Amino acid sequence: MIVALAGNPNTGKSTIFNALTGMKQHVGNWPGVTVEKKEGEMEINGTRVKVVDLPGTYSLTAYSLEEIITRNFIIEEKPDIIVDIIDASNLERNLYLLTELLELHSKIIVVLNMFDEAQKKYNIDVDLMSKILGLPVVPAVGIRGKGIDELKEKILRGKFNPKKVEYPEDVEKRIEKIEEKIKKLGLEPARWYAIKVIENDVEVVKKIKDKGARDILHLAEHLRHEIEDIYGDDIESVMTSFRYSFAHGLFHEVAEPINVGGVTITDMLDHVITHKIFGIPIFLAIMYLSFQFVFLVAAPFQDAIDLLFNGKDAAGGHIPGLVDLSYNWMLTFMPDWLSSFINHGMLRGLGAVLTFTPVIMLLFLILSFLEDSGYLARVAFLMDSVMKKMGLEGRGIIPLMLGFGCNVPAVMATRTLKDENERKLSIALNPLIPCGARIQVFAFLSSIFFPSNPALVLWSLLILSMVVVFFLGYIYSKTIFRGKSEPFVLELPPYRMPTMKGISIHMWEKSEGFLRKAGTIIVGAAAIIWIFAALPWGVEYGSPDSYIGMFAQWIAPIGTAFGLTPEAIISLIFGFFAKEVVIDVLYVLFGSKDAILASMTWAQAYSFMLFMLFYTPCVATLAAVYNETKSKKFTLFVILEGFFLAALFSFTFYTIFTLLGVGA
Amino acid sequence: MLLSELKPGEYGIVKKIGGSGAIHRRLLSMGLLPGAIVRVVRISPLGDPIEYEIRGFFISLRKQEATNVEVDKIVPLSLVPGNSEVRVIFIDGGVGFVQNMGAMGIAVGKILKVIKPCCPMQVQTDRGIFTVGRGMAYRVFVR
Ligand SMILES: Nc1nc2c(ncn2[C@@H]2O[C@H](COP(=O)(O)OP(=O)(O)O)[C@@H](O)[C@H]2O)c(=O)[nH]1
Repeated sequence: MIVALAGNPNTGKSTIFNALTGMKQHVGNWPGVTVEKKEGEMEINGTRVKVVDLPGTYSLTAYSLEEIITRNFIIEEKPDIIVDIIDASNLERNLYLLTELLELHSKIIVVLNMFDEAQKKYNIDVDLMSKILGLPVVPAVGIRGKGIDELKEKILRGKFNPKKVEYPEDVEKRIEKIEEKIKKLGLEPARWYAIKVIENDVEVVKKIKDKGARDILHLAEHLRHEIEDIYGDDIESVMTSFRYSFAHGLFHEVAEPINVGGVTITDMLDHVITHKIFGIPIFLAIMYLSFQFVFLVAAPFQDAIDLLFNGKDAAGGHIPGLVDLSYNWMLTFMPDWLSSFINHGMLRGLGAVLTFTPVIMLLFLILSFLEDSGYLARVAFLMDSVMKKMGLEGRGIIPLMLGFGCNVPAVMATRTLKDENERKLSIALNPLIPCGARIQVFAFLSSIFFPSNPALVLWSLLILSMVVVFFLGYIYSKTIFRGKSEPFVLELPPYRMPTMKGISIHMWEKSEGFLRKAGTIIVGAAAIIWIFAALPWGVEYGSPDSYIGMFAQWIAPIGTAFGLTPEAIISLIFGFFAKEVVIDVLYVLFGSKDAILASMTWAQAYSFMLFMLFYTPCVATLAAVYNETKSKKFTLFVILEGFFLAALFSFTFYTIFTLLGVGA
Repeated sequence: MLLSELKPGEYGIVKKIGGSGAIHRRLLSMGLLPGAIVRVVRISPLGDPIEYEIRGFFISLRKQEATNVEVDKIVPLSLVPGNSEVRVIFIDGGVGFVQNMGAMGIAVGKILKVIKPCCPMQVQTDRGIFTVGRGMAYRVFVR
């Protein structure tokens, strides 16, 4: 048996889904798109039931991906029962989706979720509603697990005798005419197809055209014009009005308002949070504190993991970590190269994955909190007019800001954007934001090469990256990532106190996928880097005699055009693994600060930093990019984009400065 | 006038939803339909988008999108000052509420004279002088 959950966004659909399936769930993507698909399983009195969570939608038109996915699933997969999760505190608007569902499916269970909040606004007569609709209606409070048992029981034994959403006589007459013809085509449900073809629904029209039934299209067009003439408005307005008046009528019949007017808590909070003057400073402060919290709390965990794996250089010599210990232990029963490969290659890679874990989990903890509480929608409201210029909605600012911390969770955070094109645009831009690791390297190099004013140098790089991101966003949104420019109609839900359980589940869902899939990619890349750094046999690890070193020598003539020394190139190659490693590599190759200072002119050093600012994202970021887009082409695009910008800026800078003869 | 031209705190009744394709459909499915009441809640600090209340919930629309909605400006009876004459445009409620108001002579199209402003307010209708509470006055829209 298959049960599908449908409903508006923000109605507690995930909460109910989790309550039904517990931890038995699986998160993937709908075929071919980046929209999340959640499936789970439950058992009711020995009957196994598969639960599919459909995307949250306000209606079932053919204009958004989520809505098309939802209705196609219902038509093609024919779930046995649809559970429509309704936010009972916002009954009228939520009932509209029910009117659309009623035309698609006959077995619908209506869940009146958020019944606790609804009771503060009106008295709802649940039995009357059930009688009018001819469907089971279950009041529920998802966060407290109330109503879940009754819902399960109705899934097994509910009685369905659904009421038809009726249109006025002169419309019904016309629907019937088309319906007869649709039946002959064998399309089910015929009435729904008839209504949609009259409404000029692009997908349905296409489907009928593919079946070669042009006569139906002609007839429908004729009838459409008749209806438009009778009611004096366009067909979509007319038909939507009829369905809404069904919802409106039902709402007023079953719900009696208790309290109208008056100031709500949400209204008071919004007075401050979206305040003309304080709104944006408050947003910046919340972001700053959130990041501070994440990186402060994560730091000791990261250090501990790093210590555990890699040990530490102390005054009394090197304290061995897991990698060294395991390496030495394996030496007792396997050859040196194999032990080195397993430990210096793969185990160290695993360590790298694990050091990312605390940041990722904490960031998603905060992000889920901001999202569930309703604050993220306010961010969209506050920042929209800035982000709009670069082709993103207001929430697009969050992944960009996160990027200054770490690009990996930032790329994953693009999931807060609902539009597919905006997500891709946002993912393509994110690696260009210098993460904490890069900033650390810049700070280090600036202090060596520009001791008089390192902050200014660092600042120039940050400003450059922001300018580039902004302009590239502007250009991309007008060219390769030009969306259908989906309208940005955003609901501002009431503020709610998120539950610990809800947040932890969200956090786990988001982190788990990364750790499993991206983890394998990172460990694999670590192993490959090891091979090139340790071969040919017998050379010192990562030295100019290794394959990486040879490659650096070979490419050095090209590097000179950018002011890059062979050592700088080697460090950049290792930087692909993790950007902060660049400093370590330079230290290993040169031995001291003074030697590093002597190896480059300041113009070369700045050019090196420019190159490092943009060239390929680190392997973990690439893994995240791939994990989010599931596209090798897109991942490659992100790499090439980085190299192009890196080459462009460092070449231009270096050429100008050598021509001017300064810093040479 | 256009929805985008209303100022914070003002109300409008939707006359027509223009635009085409996605924006047209999206506005309709959020319940912005001819006859619906919209209130402008606030404008984003940077001037765009704008928050509106409709059917008891809140949405944000970019100005550009709000220009697709044609409205007539209306006022809830509760905000009408004393000593003024107004015409009833819309009564927001179920059949019962509309009937109750009708019994006092408050119905769509009727002229009312506000004697004492909210709240509670006193209005003169063609059936006499009545006292109208805040909860009711909020749901009667006039011009
Ligand atoms: N008061 C109340 N809050 C709820 C209820 N169900 C869910 N929530 C909260 O509503 C918010 C949105 O829930 P979620 O399941 O993420 O909604 P979805 O977007 O529809 O999947 C969360 O903050 C939940 O904690 C309920 O029955 N009553």
